[in-house]
Amino acid sequence: MRGRDPALRLTVLVLWALLGLFVLYPLVCLLARVAVDGGRLSLGSALAVLADPHLLRALGNSLLLAALVGVAGTALGFLFALTASRAGLGQGWLAALDAITLLPLISPPFTTAIAMIFSFGPRGLITYQLLGIKGVSVYGLASTFFSETLTYFPIAYLTLRPVLAAIDANVEDMALSLGASRAQVFRTVTLPLAIPGLANAFLLLFAASLADFATPLILAGNAFPVLPTQAYLQITGLFDLRGGAVLSFALLVPAFGVYLLQRYWVSRRYYVTVSGKSGARTAVKTVAPWFRPVLTGACVVVAAAIAYFYLLLLYASLVVALGANHAWTWRHYHVMFTEGARAIRDTLIIAGLSMPLGGLYGVLVGYLVARKRFAGRAAMEVVSMLNYALPGTIVGIAYLIAFNDPPIALTGGALVIVACYVFRYSPTGIRATVAQLQQIDPSIEEASLGLGASTATTFYRVTLPLVIPAFFAGLGVVFIRSMTAISATIFLVSINWTLITVRILENMTELSLGPAAAFSVLVVAIVYVVIAAISRLLKTFSVPGGASLGSVLGG
Amino acid sequence: MRLIVLVFAVTLAWAAPAAAQQTVNAYSIWPENWARPMFEEFEKATGIKVNFVRFSSGEALARVIAEKNNPRVDVLFGGPVETHAAGIKEGIFEPYKPPSFAKLPGRFKQADGQWVAIADDPLVFMSNNKFLKENNLKPPTSWEDLLNPAYKNMLQMADARTSGTAVTRIFSILEVYGRDENKAFEYMKKERKNVQVYTKSGGGGTLPVGLGQAGAGIFFIVDALDTKAKGYDVSISFPKEGIGTSAEAIALLKGAKNPELGKKLIDWATSPAMQGLFAKHKINFVPAHPDVAVEPTLAEVLKGAKIFPIDDAYAGANRKRIVERWVNEVLNAKD
Repeated sequence: MRGRDPALRLTVLVLWALLGLFVLYPLVCLLARVAVDGGRLSLGSALAVLADPHLLRALGNSLLLAALVGVAGTALGFLFALTASRAGLGQGWLAALDAITLLPLISPPFTTAIAMIFSFGPRGLITYQLLGIKGVSVYGLASTFFSETLTYFPIAYLTLRPVLAAIDANVEDMALSLGASRAQVFRTVTLPLAIPGLANAFLLLFAASLADFATPLILAGNAFPVLPTQAYLQITGLFDLRGGAVLSFALLVPAFGVYLLQRYWVSRRYYVTVSGKSGARTAVKTVAPWFRPVLTGACVVVAAAIAYFYLLLLYASLVVALGANHAWTWRHYHVMFTEGARAIRDTLIIAGLSMPLGGLYGVLVGYLVARKRFAGRAAMEVVSMLNYALPGTIVGIAYLIAFNDPPIALTGGALVIVACYVFRYSPTGIRATVAQLQQIDPSIEEASLGLGASTATTFYRVTLPLVIPAFFAGLGVVFIRSMTAISATIFLVSINWTLITVRILENMTELSLGPAAAFSVLVVAIVYVVIAAISRLLKTFSVPGGASLGSVLGG
Repeated sequence: MRLIVLVFAVTLAWAAPAAAQQTVNAYSIWPENWARPMFEEFEKATGIKVNFVRFSSGEALARVIAEKNNPRVDVLFGGPVETHAAGIKEGIFEPYKPPSFAKLPGRFKQADGQWVAIADDPLVFMSNNKFLKENNLKPPTSWEDLLNPAYKNMLQMADARTSGTAVTRIFSILEVYGRDENKAFEYMKKERKNVQVYTKSGGGGTLPVGLGQAGAGIFFIVDALDTKAKGYDVSISFPKEGIGTSAEAIALLKGAKNPELGKKLIDWATSPAMQGLFAKHKINFVPAHPDVAVEPTLAEVLKGAKIFPIDDAYAGANRKRIVERWVNEVLNAKD
């Protein structure tokens, strides 16, 4: 297209500067620290860690776990997205479903894992007291897989929901009226058109699982070591930063492989369903009336499982000590609002800053890589994913090394935490934007440009309204992650800035389940209020043909 | 846009330093509920405020190493001495000998003053009373008791690759077997059959034991007494063959911005001035300074317990090899 578009050139330049500063520079600093041994350049001693035979097994386990979580989480997300967009549910149902699917995303670290142990351990509430099963082990692949799938599938739902909603029911209708059965329509029309969403959801889940160390740290046990946990332990347990860094970089190889795979898979077809020429909307008919309750029922079962964990959390926040003394008390909330007041304030400021920046950044990068041609486009797409695909520990340490010393001394402030969140958690927004743009006919934007509008105006007036569900999905995820992330930020909080999640971790260390649970309940409440406020505020943006905003984020 | 500018401005105003009071900055490895009252007492005694953040030992050390060209804090407060021993290799400490230095026994100080002990922390057996009752057991009083099949799949203890608690435990077993490695490993291999999981952190198993998801485990006494204080129905006992203990230390960081204030904090923490306050704040560490008496309830728990220090020279020279052997023969044993 137009190679000499000043707005485009400037945007690309600014984005590259930011990516360079907040993604590449820290990683280069870390690599430099790892590669220099006693003043000499040598990778030998750092690479020695790769020769450990146990680590090969850990890598295999990680890939297995990530693949399973990717497939199961995408399937679950698809089920929910299909139900939301095709089962003809009323507004109330939709809102409830959305609200519950949002919960696992808000799950603060460690609390769900403890709830798992409490429920499914050898003397667990469910396994032992309810079902009477003796001698079960809660540690291993099954529980890690279960916990991660439940935690991450909402990402798939958020990615798939706008994609499915944007598949014009008319297309399915045509296939039906041409004599195809519902199953055929689903298999040959709906599913193939959803491929960009499925591919992007799988990529996000695979990478998220591959980088997650907190869940396996508690639930994987000894028989199922995984690489990100090993990397974390190499650094914090064996005090071996160089070995841990090498292990973390090793995780980039499979993540990059999956990225290439999904690109290849998506690039073979044409997915445009939103063109300038769409006719009147017809009612959705692809899902048979008898099948709708089945879909809904399946979602309700999953939702009930999620609700159970959070009710347990709520209960833990209201009793003196879960498992020891079940007398009711408000004490934990009192502790939270007194000792925790500073953490709450800091977290809200940081999340409030990260949210708009992350949302804008996500949709801009997504738009550029999906729509524009410029030198280094593929490189930008890859670089924007790096911080997401690396384990948080290593991202945190890289930031610490890069931004602790002059010339760019940012540690100790809030900016470094905001930057970490924006560049680590925006890929959901990027992928959602990319997936959605792959459905939208570029001719709509070309028409605008042809009529004399600039790239900036076209983006603002035409593209942005079309991708607004993806924009808010991305923005919402950045906000939620800013409220709940810990692995990277544990290295970036300082004597000036602390976070709620750090308080939760601290409470867990002190065996104070009550305040930890109270903080978690607060985080859930804040996220709901903010998300509801945003969707209300922006309902006016709603575009015919796009998904209704209010429901995209559980408003 | 105007909103963002406003938020930034408010942010900056908030982040600005509050007052010109003398402050010293620290990373604490002690949990906040212990560190905070100690630092408040320090401020009361000296007028110097302590700004601190709390991290696990591994995270604190990783941060200090990453920040060593431009240290953000002056003092590393608490944490088992092996954390500090690892720090010495990275050259992050400034040697300093506080006034109490001469009075402390050898195992409570690094010869050059790179770190100095502020407390002692013995290991204990902790078991869930309900589990004991269901299985007609008494709290274990011998290492052999833990081999009882009744404990099958119900013990939790720490992983030697990541936890100082575990290393102290393994060296305790070596001492019990007169440093006969083969016999000690024979024991650990048998014990493994009863172990449900080797947790990543030293205190990781306390909550499962408290909740009854595990029957018993081996923990530091502070963690065990804390579990009990939270209301969980657990027993604390000691093996008659004896069990090891590990010191908690403090250190001054090289390049600290407030070295003089940092030294004052170290002087205070290594003296009876701080360690005499453990009892008042229900901190169950054993004081390191010989002039401080052990608090009566803690002394009652410790009464009759056979506790021996781990020989630093022996542990230092053999740690890496022993941990590797533990990983190969115990953790990854095929049975």
